[in-house]
Amino acid sequence: MSFGTIGILNVGAGDTKLSFDPTNPAEVIRASRIVKDMIRRGYALLVATGKDDDGRPIYHRATDFDEKTAEYIIADFDPVTAAAADAAETGASTPSEETSDVDTPAAPPSRGGRQKAPAPNSKAGRRLKASNVHAVAVSRSAGG
Amino acid sequence: MPLSDLGLVVEPTYPKAAELMAIGKTAADDDAVEEGVKVRNQWWSHRLRKHIFIWQEPDGRVKGGTVPYGNRGVHLELNTLGASVAWGIEQEANAVHLLGQLLKHHAFKMYLLTGMFLETSKRSGVTYLFRKLRPTVALDARNDGNKSARVLAALCLHPIGYYKESWAGSMCPTDDVIAHLMLMRGDEPMFWRRANQHAPGTPEAAI
Repeated sequence: MSFGTIGILNVGAGDTKLSFDPTNPAEVIRASRIVKDMIRRGYALLVATGKDDDGRPIYHRATDFDEKTAEYIIADFDPVTAAAADAAETGASTPSEETSDVDTPAAPPSRGGRQKAPAPNSKAGRRLKASNVHAVAVSRSAGG
Repeated sequence: MPLSDLGLVVEPTYPKAAELMAIGKTAADDDAVEEGVKVRNQWWSHRLRKHIFIWQEPDGRVKGGTVPYGNRGVHLELNTLGASVAWGIEQEANAVHLLGQLLKHHAFKMYLLTGMFLETSKRSGVTYLFRKLRPTVALDARNDGNKSARVLAALCLHPIGYYKESWAGSMCPTDDVIAHLMLMRGDEPMFWRRANQHAPGTPEAAI
């Protein structure tokens, strides 16, 4: 039987994996505490929420984790749907073609959409049972 | 893992970050400029293919100078090669196994054979070239019917830490690729916020 896991990208011995096996409550409690602590420390928790038309997994970042119920809380916001709605309304925007000799950082992709994403750590949002989904945790970046 | 001849940069909130960064560090490793000299500005010139620096001398005079591309690319490559002693084959194999579960067959085959693969974001339409031990290249191929692409930036990001003057992260190479891929898929604006953007053409971008 398959149950939810979270792979943590790590140094040293490499990736570590936590499991949310419903038949092992002690393991679920331990894993829940670690996941909550990771969110507190700024880890990005990417949770597989389904598959797209091409069969590729769709991931959303968990904004919080409910330790009591072992549930990921993800922003209940679909940027693709919102962007499609915006494009239909106003027409797709085209990026600027201007070039310059001086470096200017490229703008991050726009989130697009009229819906406003819930604030980080907001209790509002979609809840996903940790025992049903797979996730990957990425720690804070040191830059590069 | 700290290495004696490569400085380690660790995310400051990570436990023992300062101690880890201090290992093997000497006064010469500091990027400090001469006392009294203040760097006013610096940027990369695509036309000259040089870093341009403007600085102020202690007597107040403002001067400028350039640092050519030179062999910096090779320097970065050799340092990256040197960092390989920090990683284990078992950890890398585990990471490759995980990546295999995240990609479709053809993309995974591309990665195994070439060390890179492409994926287009449905959110923004930006195409990303994910590369092992090199920054991820963000391409805008939305115009011209996908016949041509414009390089937006090279996105460099290393969770936990990285080795100075190299493209090597503290995690094994494929774990860094997974981190880029997962952040792009799960929260693309956060990926751009967290990544260091190297302009195309700079040695650091490795394009």
